[in-house]
Amino acid sequence: MSSSHAIPASVPADDHVGKATGGKVAMWLFIAQDGFSFGGLLLAYGLLRIFADSWPAADLRPTDILGINLTAFATFVLICSSLTMVMAVDSAQKADRGGTIRWLLLTIVGGICFLSIQAWEYTHLVHAGIGFTNSTWNGQTINALFGSTFYVVTGFHGCHVTAGVIYLICILRGTLKGKYTQGGLTYSPVELVGLFWHFVDLVWILVFTFIYLL
Amino acid sequence: MAKHDHGHAAHGTPAHDAAHDHPTRSTFVTIFLVLGFLTVVEVFIPSVYNSPWNQNTKMLLLVTLASGKALLVALFFMHLKWETPWIRRIALMPAYMGLFAVLLMIETAFRPQLS
Repeated sequence: MSSSHAIPASVPADDHVGKATGGKVAMWLFIAQDGFSFGGLLLAYGLLRIFADSWPAADLRPTDILGINLTAFATFVLICSSLTMVMAVDSAQKADRGGTIRWLLLTIVGGICFLSIQAWEYTHLVHAGIGFTNSTWNGQTINALFGSTFYVVTGFHGCHVTAGVIYLICILRGTLKGKYTQGGLTYSPVELVGLFWHFVDLVWILVFTFIYLL
Repeated sequence: MAKHDHGHAAHGTPAHDAAHDHPTRSTFVTIFLVLGFLTVVEVFIPSVYNSPWNQNTKMLLLVTLASGKALLVALFFMHLKWETPWIRRIALMPAYMGLFAVLLMIETAFRPQLS
């Protein structure tokens, strides 16, 4: 152990949360409230869509406008990054510094890849006429709410991915300094960023279905 | 080494037995493969169920698949399967949005048509 003071192997067991650290309980509470935010947005999207005369137009479906194959690939990239993230947590638990660095790097690459695909998709859609307040598709005016809800929901998720990538870079920096792979509870920050990252992946699974596929 | 310490319940608590069933890397790879396969299935559903008369089937299939995938991520990648009931309750809170959705749909269904 390189630290000058002893690092506890675990926290005292609690009747309700077991041996979960305070940080872990706090992260779960944050994830729960963030889940309400996404839930509210998806609920609003659902209601706007139900009340709309056509979505996005009489003879058009969302799958006709949105690139399903590209987004499916982005979804797969995010699922891959979830796997690399869980491997990073496992490596950190085993005090494997090299493994943790490698898996964290791959997770960051996955996140950046996802954001790049999203940026390319936004650029393509804007050039095709799908705006935030007004939208046209092949010269035909379509329901303006289609573009608004699309950009709000996917943009809110994109902000989470961006925050996740920044968070991951901070944790990678600490791992490079050897802070999170000293055994005991030192791996806890890697586990916390993992929880956030998996939540971002979980939300995207729902966003992909409700916004793109339905 | 804290391999068996994270977030586990104390001896004698209901979650203690589950704590021994620790996930391995092969479990994570299996879940990843299942998620990948389900994503491929999801992508093909809109093209198979593309008629106006089978839109409800499409919606049911897609929502079921998405819920299943989200559950797999939460249970295995977020380790919820090995957490205590209290942590699971915290994680389940946003699921009540589904209840709000059902209530809103019922309200919408019985709302008088606006002229």
